[in-house]
Amino acid sequence: MGQTFTFAALGSQFLVGLSRAMILFIISAGMSFVLGVLRVPNVAHGSLYMIGAFSAFSITNLLGGGSTGFWLALILAPLVVALVSLIAERSLFCHLYEREHLMLLLFTFALMLILGDLVKMVWGADYRSIMAPELLQGSVNIFDSPFPRYNLFLLIIGPLVGIGLLLFSNKTKIGKIARAAAVDREMVGAIGINVSWVFAFAFVLGCFLAGLGGALVSPTMSVAIGMDHDIIMEAFLIVTIGGLGNMWGALVGSLIFGLTQAFGVLFWPQFAIVFPYIAVVIVLTWKPRGMLKSVW
Amino acid sequence: MERRFLKTSFVILGAILAVSFILLPVHAEARNIKVGIIDCYSGPAAVFCEDALNGFKLALEEINKKGVCGGKIEFTTRDTKFKVDIALNMAKELVMREKVDILVGTINSGAALAVSDAVAKKEKVPFMVWISKTERITGEKGHRYVFSTGENTAMAGKAGGVALSKKPYVKYWVGGDDYSYGHDIANAAWRNLKALKPEVKMIGKSWWKPGEPDLSPYITAILGAKPDAVIFCTGGRSMTNIMKAVKATGMAEKLPIWIHTGTDHAVLKPLGAEGPEGVMGTMDYHFYYPETAANMAFVEAFQAAYGGPPGFPAFHGYITAHFIAEAYKKAGSVNTEKFIDALEGLKIASPAGELEMRACDHQVTLPMYLGVTKMSTKYGCVISTDIITMTGEEVLPTCEEIAKARGK
Repeated sequence: MGQTFTFAALGSQFLVGLSRAMILFIISAGMSFVLGVLRVPNVAHGSLYMIGAFSAFSITNLLGGGSTGFWLALILAPLVVALVSLIAERSLFCHLYEREHLMLLLFTFALMLILGDLVKMVWGADYRSIMAPELLQGSVNIFDSPFPRYNLFLLIIGPLVGIGLLLFSNKTKIGKIARAAAVDREMVGAIGINVSWVFAFAFVLGCFLAGLGGALVSPTMSVAIGMDHDIIMEAFLIVTIGGLGNMWGALVGSLIFGLTQAFGVLFWPQFAIVFPYIAVVIVLTWKPRGMLKSVW
Repeated sequence: MERRFLKTSFVILGAILAVSFILLPVHAEARNIKVGIIDCYSGPAAVFCEDALNGFKLALEEINKKGVCGGKIEFTTRDTKFKVDIALNMAKELVMREKVDILVGTINSGAALAVSDAVAKKEKVPFMVWISKTERITGEKGHRYVFSTGENTAMAGKAGGVALSKKPYVKYWVGGDDYSYGHDIANAAWRNLKALKPEVKMIGKSWWKPGEPDLSPYITAILGAKPDAVIFCTGGRSMTNIMKAVKATGMAEKLPIWIHTGTDHAVLKPLGAEGPEGVMGTMDYHFYYPETAANMAFVEAFQAAYGGPPGFPAFHGYITAHFIAEAYKKAGSVNTEKFIDALEGLKIASPAGELEMRACDHQVTLPMYLGVTKMSTKYGCVISTDIITMTGEEVLPTCEEIAKARGK
């Protein structure tokens, strides 16, 4: 368009893109984790994210709608999702791990439709909204342009979740087992580990992250039916370009997705929508199995 | 298969007979007017459609006390699930099997246009569109059998264009949802603004996908480009998202923003204290404005019946029922062609004052309320204030423009 972009404009756009990438990372890391350990392409991951957002809404309101409510919702809403996913895993998923991927895909797709309707029955079809705590309202000036405080908060929480996952998978026993199961699950079972519970744990952890993502986005957008469909496509693409089942691939994929979108908005706003998808095409042409090592 | 069909037919016949016995105790010879409603009663759009239906039902209660042409107005609903093909099938079923006199619906513009063309026009059944906002329904795609009791993108865009042309801004940025509603509003607003004030310049455009969760990258980019004012063309879920992003970035304090339906209570109420102040918005109905006896009475009755204030769809539903009733009364009998002749140019009293069903395009002359958002302690959220009313005649395309659009 012939206009030049100042360092400040690029900088602030980089930061907003980064904060979006953090949300995408939290959600897609969970999905990737489930995909890696359980080999389940969980289409219902988006529904769990939506349940996380709606739960955050209900919990915040139940506790009076103030800041305390929000902070508690941030912890409790993902736990609600974890509980839902535990029930789903123990009653449904645990019988299906041996089925082929197409079956699993269809099954999780059905689950997405069911959960979508359940959300509508429980919360209704109205648009819901919750407020960020006072501390995180408004904006601060960074690079001479207003940067929402809440996005700043996301920039802190994203790396924290990343570090948590790193510690979990490298320092804890169950994390190591889960990683091992991702690489070779027969072998893990052969040495006498109860794979069934490892799987249950991995599934619940992955879904917990979906719930956390949902709770985290809830103050920035309308909590409404349809959120599940919006996120699931992006999460799948991110997991694919990052490398199936690789959690750090999810980070790389989220960064690519979030940043190309933010810069696309700056350079060519009319067609900003397509930028992340162009990036996906480029990555997959160049590295068909994703940026990092795919476990498949 | 055949037996099942027979059985179903008997059940349906039985049900119809039972219903007619209940509803027709007095005037056994005069028949009821059947309205078939196709709208989206599942999914996110259901909120609006149920609101419209409630307004319609409220009006019917008043109307059926006296009756119309010796009978009553009855209705049946079908859920379109926001899908065009389902809407079409349902509309055909209502016309062929239920033998409805009038079709009413729907929020989905694609469905409204399809039903208008393939059912209303072809089967010669009047179709009254009450929520869909596409200007094509009564514009280029209009015909004898289709009517609109809602506002449309041409009216909204003209209201915005006229309002902005009186402001000193020159450099504009336009942003919105990348689907037909967003583009239609943007085009109509810009066309009118440019015509009234040729020196305005569009320095940039951004389009995002409807429901885009994080709009902050768009807003920082727009603020960086330093326009004089911004036009946002969003609807549905994006409305909340854009209002939140405007609030979080403090955009409204830095730039004047106009958003059609930016003053919609359905959007602002859930935001509560988080609704941004100082956003210019246009709306064709507010339950709190104008504070006339007619509006207050409608709001009170609605509130008593449904436990909340009416939104714009409820208002559309309410006037739709009254237009139907008044037109049949004027026609004097339940005859489709006479009904249409009576409806053309018909004027009714409504909560928002007198409304006319324009004869030239079958569009109701709804007013537009231009206001600015401001915190209200009474409602606990921002509401529209300093309201300027633009009459239906001011914001509607002229009959000549309609004729041109229809290629006559």
